[in-house]
Amino acid sequence: MQNLDRSHTSKPVLVVGGGLGGIRTALDLAEADKNVVLVDTAHNIGGLMTQLDRTFPTNNCDLCTLAPNLSESNRQEHIKLMAMTRVEAVSGEKGNFKVSLKTEPRYINLDKCTGCGECLKAFPECVTFTPGLDHRAPTCMRYPQATPQAYSIDLTRCGDVEALVKCCPTGAINPDDLGSRGDVACSSIVLAPGASLFDPSGLDYLGYSDHVDVVTSLEYERLLSASGPTSGRLLRPSTGEPPKRVAWIQCIGSRGLQRGAAPYCSGACCMFALKEAMVSKERFREDIETTIFYMDMRTFGKDYERYYQRAKNEFGVRFIHSRPHSVLMNEASGGIVLGYTTDDTPKLLSEAFDMVVLSIGFRIGDEMRSLATMLGIDVNDSSFPVHPGLNQVETTRPGIYVAGAFEAPKDIPETMVQASAAACMAGKDVIPLEKEIEEAPALPLERNVVGEQPRVGVFICDCGENIGSVIDVEKLAERVSVFEHVAVAMAAGHGCSRESMEQIRQTIEEQEINRVVIGGCSPRTHEAKFQDLIRKAGLNKYLLEFANIRDQVTWVHSHQPEKAMAKAEDLLKMAVGAVCKAHPLAEHSLPINKNVLVIGGGVAGMTASLELADQGFRVYLVEQSNRLGGIAANLKRTLEGHDVQAFVHNLIERTQSHDSIEVIMGGMIVDHTGMPGMFTTGMQVGRQMFYRQIEHGVTILATGALPNRPNLFGLGTGKQIVTQLDLQTTIHDDPEKVRSWENVVMIQCVGSRTEDNPNCSRICCQNAVKNALHLLDVNPDVRIFVLYRDMRTYAFQEEYYQKARERGVIFVRYQQDQPPQVKLVGDHVEVTYRDIILGRDVKVTADCLCLSTGLIANEDSNEEMARIFKLPRSEDGYFLEDHIKLRPVDLPVPGFFVAGTAHAPKLISESLVQARAVASRAQTILARDAINLGAATAKVDGKLCAACLICVRACPFNVPFINADGYSEIDPAKCHGCGICAAECPAKAIQLMQFEDDMIISKLEQLFEKVEA
Amino acid sequence: MKEQFEPVIVAFCCHYCAYTAADMAGSQRLVYPPNVKIIRVPCSGKVDSIHILKAFEKGADGVYVAGCLDGDCHFKNGNDKASRKVAQMMRYLEEIGIEPERLEMVKMSAGMGERFARIATEMTEKIRKLGPSPIKAAAA
Repeated sequence: MQNLDRSHTSKPVLVVGGGLGGIRTALDLAEADKNVVLVDTAHNIGGLMTQLDRTFPTNNCDLCTLAPNLSESNRQEHIKLMAMTRVEAVSGEKGNFKVSLKTEPRYINLDKCTGCGECLKAFPECVTFTPGLDHRAPTCMRYPQATPQAYSIDLTRCGDVEALVKCCPTGAINPDDLGSRGDVACSSIVLAPGASLFDPSGLDYLGYSDHVDVVTSLEYERLLSASGPTSGRLLRPSTGEPPKRVAWIQCIGSRGLQRGAAPYCSGACCMFALKEAMVSKERFREDIETTIFYMDMRTFGKDYERYYQRAKNEFGVRFIHSRPHSVLMNEASGGIVLGYTTDDTPKLLSEAFDMVVLSIGFRIGDEMRSLATMLGIDVNDSSFPVHPGLNQVETTRPGIYVAGAFEAPKDIPETMVQASAAACMAGKDVIPLEKEIEEAPALPLERNVVGEQPRVGVFICDCGENIGSVIDVEKLAERVSVFEHVAVAMAAGHGCSRESMEQIRQTIEEQEINRVVIGGCSPRTHEAKFQDLIRKAGLNKYLLEFANIRDQVTWVHSHQPEKAMAKAEDLLKMAVGAVCKAHPLAEHSLPINKNVLVIGGGVAGMTASLELADQGFRVYLVEQSNRLGGIAANLKRTLEGHDVQAFVHNLIERTQSHDSIEVIMGGMIVDHTGMPGMFTTGMQVGRQMFYRQIEHGVTILATGALPNRPNLFGLGTGKQIVTQLDLQTTIHDDPEKVRSWENVVMIQCVGSRTEDNPNCSRICCQNAVKNALHLLDVNPDVRIFVLYRDMRTYAFQEEYYQKARERGVIFVRYQQDQPPQVKLVGDHVEVTYRDIILGRDVKVTADCLCLSTGLIANEDSNEEMARIFKLPRSEDGYFLEDHIKLRPVDLPVPGFFVAGTAHAPKLISESLVQARAVASRAQTILARDAINLGAATAKVDGKLCAACLICVRACPFNVPFINADGYSEIDPAKCHGCGICAAECPAKAIQLMQFEDDMIISKLEQLFEKVEA
Repeated sequence: MKEQFEPVIVAFCCHYCAYTAADMAGSQRLVYPPNVKIIRVPCSGKVDSIHILKAFEKGADGVYVAGCLDGDCHFKNGNDKASRKVAQMMRYLEEIGIEPERLEMVKMSAGMGERFARIATEMTEKIRKLGPSPIKAAAA
């Protein structure tokens, strides 16, 4: 653990909850040079995501993407991580909170535990590793990359404490651990404890308690997961055979339908079920049949509609619009029979399945409810914290912020965005103290080893029993010591322990070692640690090689100790060979220009500008038109009733009067050069097209989207056919007209979810509900028909949808291939639609036909912007983020961020969250004085280069170019370090530093030396 | 008694997927033959024809390149490039009289420890059946 005394610096931010959201908040704050205390009640951080097999919409493995984030959060110097810790009391106010924390005893000393697993082997009942189907079991180290990398003991289950203590090779088990209590002073608090999941065992008609083959969606996920109870083989719990027919039932515990169900929509379950069905199909193809029983498929996120279409059309997932009314056992076959009805037949249907998956929704559990009560923040009827204004991450208590599923049900990308936004808000409350120059331990000068004969020091860990029980490390060291260039070879015990590290450092200095090989665990986890060590010993970080003799030898060949010994020797020989060829490398770094360029003066652009300007950064806000406010300037109020006009006016006023913001109206971006931290962007400004250049360190794109106006359903042919945007203006400005109306028809998905524009516009369903409710406020007698395909009123919008139904709004589903027919008749519109339940056509004569047309990307401006900044776009023209899940507001070009509807259609409050998220992400760059670009970059030898352009074409990131001297040049600031150019170069003019050809070939030579002999 | 032939197999593993999968196989204690020796590369696309040929020249009985699953490459398409290169090298090996099956391209995600172990086992068995590399036999 790090030194906890931070009294000499500004007060930290307390982050409650170490799931993905909490980790993101903590990392953002830490990277922006702010201190964080991250607490979680669990044994390891990671939250719910660590239990997932794959995530939508990429269907990627999760751990691969999450694990680096986890260990990153442990490495960060600014973060103090406290597992098994809960908040007991909070006093004080914004900027000056006092928080009482209680830490449960782990009975394991984190400094000593190496995660070797000896205790688990000896006492499996009190140290549990297997993440079983039963998530109530003590799952203490739930997944292999757990952080902290340590086990935990349940002492109550242990019969022989003395033996348990003895079995630990490092003496890490401490049965006298009493836990601890303490107070922490902090500036602000971010709550990201996540949410619980609905427990369906109370709903007996679902058979969850009676039949093992009825599982929840999370349990099904565990069955699919490689780290799950069946090691990733999907097997029916009852028979152990692969299931042939699996059914998903949506909305379990959500949308107010069953006993005990919540009134809201849980938002993520439709995508979750689609993913599980697709992954099942992917693995078993024709051998499995997947069916989803749904009410509305709510795939409203960016590109999610395409995912739904892919499930339906490419994977053959079957969709049935129905809510099964019974889940019964077939005693004879052992299978499950689902009873259901559909819209188009009055008959009761039934179908047999091998497994039934219940798509359970999110809940606020008791623990989180009492957390909210203890903190004194207001919550809604479902116990989710309420935000007083449009800012979703604020609570009713200043200085306390929320993010993730605790704020409202949501999926991972939205959690990540909120987490960054919360970091932005919480960071503002940290009062920066005079920055005391922290005495970083002075590093010795780097020794110049170029030209010296290699003197390699080989240090071999026994990692307790992990290596030592299979091979004799002393003997191995003896054998290695005779290799060419090896000056010292010695056993190092637990090489990563403090004593061993100190011993290694001394040995390097005393023996004048100039290259180091560590024989031990994986460089993935420990390379950085040993790089720091040899740097402290006066060597360049890159004069280090790893031989992974634990993961690749002793863990996997323990039954063949002799062969294991021989292989370990081979791996060490290869590492020695490679390290002899290693060069000292310089890490590239660049000074940072701390100005910000924000493009687009809508609510997202203005909010991002204000947040950054408030933090003291100079902001240039460029707006193409001659007014600020974007689309929001035309909106009257939100579904929840917030006054948008007042909000936008206030925002414009604050933006225009801020000292650190320069608003540039009528600005058109025309050129751009540079690299993150030092960009130069040129623009033409105003009617005179006066050219101006701005130098800045980061760029924020908030260019917005356009209201769609497709030529469908007679839009534009008569004044009685309008869009939702027009309708809300009419309701607001001309209530008399609205009072004269008898019938209003709304058609959803106009110009969205079609062949031309396959994605969902996300905002239209709540828009229809909002305008319908507003219409009824003005004219309670008006009859409103909403013709829809799927009502996508996610999260708390669902409650307004229910309210609209209760107030008599008629919602009728239509099929895409049977759209309503529209005919202008005098002042009226005749709308004919097919009623699926009645099975016949219905004609309505409406005073107003309102089309839900949604948003489309601003094709012209986005195309231009993408060309100038070299940014990728999605197929429908929106800017494409770097990682849809984990970096949702970062663009793939470093130093670029995206906020608002330039990313995808979204609501004002969602745009505001993104705006604050980009402000937070931008600060992670702006807080630094220089950017470290690492050393693994490709380098061209101009003398060998024939300018054949192969590297130019091969590079996935378009970095190489032919320079004025006629040879290929690779900018180390832009190089991602994959080495593809080096492999493709026919003249071998390119080398990837840290992985040079001679190092790889030396490994091969060493490996086969004895074979040749 | 004649000893069983123990082939030496070189596995070029991408740092982001296959190398991590190998670590995963380790932490799950999945047993596979010790014949496989891993060389870590940042991306399977970094593996050069020269590296593959050098391995055979020096005496490898089998070589495989292990990259990320389709579409998962950390560097966009390095694994596709590696696949193409391996296919091309297989044709070349055939021309010079080495069984092309001695070389293979495999793909896996970082979570697939089991797949890593299975491939290592299958590859070892396959090469064992093929016998020592003709290059080694010629040198002997």
